[in-house]
Amino acid sequence: MDDDATNPFRRMSSRTRKVAPKMVAALASSDNRTQAALARLEALENDNAGVEVVENIDDEDASLDDDDQAYIQKRQSKGTKRKTRQAKALEAKKAPKTFMELLHEANLESLPSHVPSYSKAAVGPPSSTSRRHFCTVCGFAASYTCIRCGIRFCSSRCQNIHNDTRCLKFVA
Amino acid sequence: MSNVVVLDNGGGLLKAGLGGDLDPSVIIPNCLYRPLSAKKWLHPSPISISTADAATEAPSDLDLTSASVRRPIDRGYLINPDLQRDIWSHLFTSLLHVNPSNSSLLLTEPLFTLPSIQHATDEIVFEDFNFASLYVSDSPSLVHFYEASRRPTSLLSRAQCSLVVDCGFSFTHAAPVFQNFTLNYAVKRIDLGGKALTNYLKELVSYRALNVMDETFIMDDVKEKLCFVSLNVPRDLQIARKPGKENLFRCTYVLPDGISYTRGFVKNPDDAKRYLSLTDEVSSPSLGVKKDVIELDVSEKTEDRKRIDLTKNEFDLTNERFLVPEMIFHPADLGMNQAGLAECIVRAVNSCHPHLHPVLYESIVLTGGSTLFHNFAERLEKELRPLVPDECQVKITTQEDPILGAWRGGSLLASSPSFEAMCVTKAEYEELGSVRCRKRFLH
Repeated sequence: MDDDATNPFRRMSSRTRKVAPKMVAALASSDNRTQAALARLEALENDNAGVEVVENIDDEDASLDDDDQAYIQKRQSKGTKRKTRQAKALEAKKAPKTFMELLHEANLESLPSHVPSYSKAAVGPPSSTSRRHFCTVCGFAASYTCIRCGIRFCSSRCQNIHNDTRCLKFVA
Repeated sequence: MSNVVVLDNGGGLLKAGLGGDLDPSVIIPNCLYRPLSAKKWLHPSPISISTADAATEAPSDLDLTSASVRRPIDRGYLINPDLQRDIWSHLFTSLLHVNPSNSSLLLTEPLFTLPSIQHATDEIVFEDFNFASLYVSDSPSLVHFYEASRRPTSLLSRAQCSLVVDCGFSFTHAAPVFQNFTLNYAVKRIDLGGKALTNYLKELVSYRALNVMDETFIMDDVKEKLCFVSLNVPRDLQIARKPGKENLFRCTYVLPDGISYTRGFVKNPDDAKRYLSLTDEVSSPSLGVKKDVIELDVSEKTEDRKRIDLTKNEFDLTNERFLVPEMIFHPADLGMNQAGLAECIVRAVNSCHPHLHPVLYESIVLTGGSTLFHNFAERLEKELRPLVPDECQVKITTQEDPILGAWRGGSLLASSPSFEAMCVTKAEYEELGSVRCRKRFLH
């Protein structure tokens, strides 16, 4: 990219990488490329408020040592015991449902086929399957695919940047 | 009935005012936000009506840098009624100063709202706010109503039929409207809107230049000021590759530093406009009107701003400027298994009765904030023409203020004499319940 050519020192990202919980799940599953692509699309609808809470919980878990594990398990089991069914119901009521949960609850599949609904209004797949690929590093037309993660890049310079920063690390 | 509150409850902006007025009296972002410096969630301050200088002239001194946002609406639908209740009560008491118990409410709701969400909405309107009566409408029919009454001689108004393309914050709908009713069996939706585009731009800039993942408000501003729709993507990609002065698209956006200015701005507004010289040779004469708007937008306080030089808090945009809005025309490029806008329109038309096809193609109305990208209508026409049968004409009408289109239609409807009869009153709601009342609105 032109940018890099003008800068003698390539700027390195100083930010901490956040891996979204969905990404973790996606990486674990067998067909992880499509799953990761889906999760990336999902991330386009995110607001930045909800993420923080999830991150904090993740960090807490990640910092545990093995020695502490037993103690924590004990604490956790104690914690879950103390929660009554009522309290749990209240908690569930408090947290707003996501749209996907509401959609699932509405059970639109059970409607007769002639009734228009949210799921039937989706435009559907494009008629031509050809897809333009853009380099994830610089944005220009990309003719190569990363053999490890399937992300596109356009040149060996972009490939190096990709390998250094993003390969297999699906940044949310 | 004393007064009617007209409320266009969008996922991004909430437009509210009294029925019969020309413009809504309040436009606020439909969200709560929390700046880094505060512990509490705050209500955003209203945006001034003239949308051109809305972002720069807003009086708030609050620093929006890295503010977290909570929205009651996700993917276009109300998912957090409690949050929405908060925002509405702030709106009715401190901004609009209305007493709900002696006014009626005209509310817009997205198409295909799930029954559970409709029920929650009714509960808020009647049980929490005690509105005297309620009418629920959808935005395509209101936009059609407004356009039809504005140009009584046009084909749209004579045939009482139009195709409303609503490209808003949460998603994009192509909705045929006939006799003021949206033909819901023919509506087609793309799950892409302004929010997804902003997030996509955030992701690109964060990876390529600076981490801006938390800067929702700033990136919204960047998108509105710098993004445009390309009329010829391969050619523009070539130009975006060029170095130095020949690159017509490169321009720099300066992020706020929190000391001397709390809002970001385009570093060199003349650079941002240079791409216009390109489009002149291809486009139609209708471009002239739009150009003025853009010039107005960026031609302020350039002299003193040019001198400010920051080493770090700015980033360059080149091909991102047109590749981001490009996604509405080709969602497949994002990896989304959905057709683009032109194909979406064709599918919506094809689901209607064949007699309507020529009329629909000739009365396409563009509305919604995401249609404000420069060259949006030109590009759409260019993509649509090859897909439409030769004997049909394609005519795309843009609204002069696409964000307010639905609200203005609602205001007109609220001032029409038959409005009262269409409403559901509180007494009826209490007797019949939510489900039966909804039948009245023919949803």
